[in-house]
Amino acid sequence: MDTRINSKALKRFTEVADSVVNPEITKWKNEGGKILGYFCSYMPEELATAAEFLPVRLRATGSSGTEFSDSFLSNLNCSYPRNAFNMALQGEYDFIDGLIAFNSCDHIRRVYDYWKREVKTPFIKILSLPKKAEAAQVEWFRSELVDLTKGLEEHFGVTISDDDLRAAIRIHNETRRLLTELYELRKADNPVITGAEVLAVTVASTAMPKSIYNELLKELLEDLKQAEGINDHRARLMIIGPEMDDPEYIRAIEDQGCLVVADSLCYGSRLFWGEVKEDIADPYTALAQYYIADRPSSPGVYTEYESRAQFIRNMIDEYNVDGAILARLTFCETWAFEQYSMVQDFEEWNIPLLSIDREYMLSGVGQLRTRVQAFLETMEN
Amino acid sequence: MNAKQEKSLSRIKEELELFDPIIPLLEMDPSPASALQVPILKNLCTQHRRTIECVETGEPFIGSTYTNPAEILTAMDVHWYFPIQQMFSGPAGEGTSHAAEDLEGLDKMALPGDSCTFMRLELYYQSQGLMPIPTAYLALTEPCDATAGVHAALMHHPDWRDTPCFAPDPPYHNNDKAIDYYAGEMRRMVDFISKHTGKTLDMNRLKEVVEETNKCYTMWMEYNEIRRSTPTPHSYIMPMSCFFQTNTAGAGGNPEITNWYEKMVADAERRVTENDPEVPNQKIRLLWYDIQPFYFGEIAPWLEQEWGAVIAMDMVSYCPYELIDTSTEDNIFRGLAKRSYQHGPMVHQARGSMDNVMTDITRIVKDYNMDCVIFPGHMGHKDMAASASLMAEVCRNLGVPFLHIGLDQADRRYTPVDEIKNKLSNFFTAMGLG
Ligand code: SF4
Ligand code: SF4
Repeated sequence: MDTRINSKALKRFTEVADSVVNPEITKWKNEGGKILGYFCSYMPEELATAAEFLPVRLRATGSSGTEFSDSFLSNLNCSYPRNAFNMALQGEYDFIDGLIAFNSCDHIRRVYDYWKREVKTPFIKILSLPKKAEAAQVEWFRSELVDLTKGLEEHFGVTISDDDLRAAIRIHNETRRLLTELYELRKADNPVITGAEVLAVTVASTAMPKSIYNELLKELLEDLKQAEGINDHRARLMIIGPEMDDPEYIRAIEDQGCLVVADSLCYGSRLFWGEVKEDIADPYTALAQYYIADRPSSPGVYTEYESRAQFIRNMIDEYNVDGAILARLTFCETWAFEQYSMVQDFEEWNIPLLSIDREYMLSGVGQLRTRVQAFLETMEN
Repeated sequence: MNAKQEKSLSRIKEELELFDPIIPLLEMDPSPASALQVPILKNLCTQHRRTIECVETGEPFIGSTYTNPAEILTAMDVHWYFPIQQMFSGPAGEGTSHAAEDLEGLDKMALPGDSCTFMRLELYYQSQGLMPIPTAYLALTEPCDATAGVHAALMHHPDWRDTPCFAPDPPYHNNDKAIDYYAGEMRRMVDFISKHTGKTLDMNRLKEVVEETNKCYTMWMEYNEIRRSTPTPHSYIMPMSCFFQTNTAGAGGNPEITNWYEKMVADAERRVTENDPEVPNQKIRLLWYDIQPFYFGEIAPWLEQEWGAVIAMDMVSYCPYELIDTSTEDNIFRGLAKRSYQHGPMVHQARGSMDNVMTDITRIVKDYNMDCVIFPGHMGHKDMAASASLMAEVCRNLGVPFLHIGLDQADRRYTPVDEIKNKLSNFFTAMGLG
């Protein structure tokens, strides 16, 4: 299932989502720009933008396997870090000048340890991510961001002023507003864009300079005004889960005749929901408040389950969702226990939920199709 | 008491029925080993009785987890229990009728089997109504994703959703800023306990309790020093109990527990001086670098008897506990913070960077004159699985053989005990040990 429009902007986003290095990154690098790679949606990209660096979230798109990282990580580890670290060991991330990691899960914590030992990235730092979202945690995260700024200033010889940061917040908020507009279009009875295409758009936001990205997104929104709505779908689905950056995965689902109209993914709505408050005087507090307390949390913020469930429930209602797929990565315990509670909630809500365990790299498409088909059939009966 | 409350106490009552009659028998046995077992069992039974009493009378009590400071709860005179306690009547209490039944029940739950069985079991007990619902709950969000995730799921259960919960947030770093932050979490924990139990914290009482636990930790560290001796003084059963003695209800700050440590150290010293080790003909000194499986009762004695292989040090015992400076209130909270989020087993090894794993293995192998290192590799330990290659590298550099088994500490079906024994035997033989 594809949109019936021919949008150059959409093609650009799809190309960016299709590979780790895109022409914007190459151009940035050739012009002497610095690139800050990061794991985890909790990275306030605004800090990189304020330093005039390009923030790039690390994916493992196009990974050829895990033969190198298998010497370090084990087959009990999540396939996303295994593939990403494999690429790093092969030098595919040599273009980044700095790496920011978070103690976001047991697996990423160890990737950070090995990265420090095995990969020669000039600047590496880990930030301590709170596991709950109260005032003390906002304050804690603020202090982590201040420490990161100091580290960047010292290492790269740059200055990040509060005004730089405020300007960066404004640019990133514009991205958020534009993405919200895009998501609004999905509420229509016959949405003009597919779930796979939307994922390409959101993924691209993590690998392009925001000024260019915002212009392209405006272009796409214009193009979509002319687009014909999609009306041949059997059901409207929501996708829930952790790392999912491959639009092909959603395409395989949508090819079964459904349309993905909403998500709670860390490359989807949870990436950009809401805005950083521009009226808070201290920009660090504003960032910490947004990332820790205001934006829908990831399950790593364990105490916030109820608000996550509420966020999903609201989306189901607003986007008129018929059923949901929770796609967890095998060996991810954070999402294993989240899934356990979600299954109970979906039962209570009387909304069909399909739980799938998957690997980071798209494999077993046949099995995925069969399960989605069966799921759609049970929904129709 | 309603039927639900009655059921929630059933396993605790079963455990009481099991242990109560053993205590007088042990008391009659003149051996030092039996004398050391008695206080452990007595303490456990007293705590169970207190839990029953609280449920029956409606007295406020807390559900807590293993690194939350026992000192604070003791000083506030609040009773608490570990929800995971149920496991010791189930799969951990191998030989009880529940072991197989619980694991089979677990298989039927909508929980991915690749996540820690230990934690999945906790949800199973909850789903079966086997855990007394406390007045308030102190959760834990370290050292691993499974621990944190399970608490989120636990608190979402319809029967528990109204139970107030406080989850201290352990930072990744170990620096002053992080210690101050976690000390703040400890203070907020005190406020939370007060709010929900009506009990207040008297700082003089807390100081007294901490000074008592300091004595226990001093003894424990001394005991660890004695374990360096060749032959090692005790069979593994004794050192296994140390951690739980300082952290379970009724133990933190209890002079009887200090006394237990003193007796244990004295017995170890005597055995070293008189060359009277509990395990004769010791041939292999090994480091068991992970938590102990529930069915360790079938492995540790077998190692000792079949191979003369003694666990001269283990991961749970080798923690860098520091004594807490009780001179000021701030120092007490900072000390409790460090003890709580940096020092405990698993937390010390798994929460932060893996540097602790490397330095610990290096020091233990050298200080304890180890012949080999065994990494059981519990399937829940994703961070440890990711550290296994490094452990192997450290051991290679030290010239000491390393074995990674791969097991499930709560479910023997993952790697059957015979297979574990075979792996160990083949390893000892291939390495020319024993
Ligand atoms: S999917 Fe889960 S295990 Fe994998 S990197 Fe993300 S949080 Fe960690
Ligand atoms: S056994 Fe290990 S993985 Fe399981 S909860 Fe405990 S520390 Fe976490």
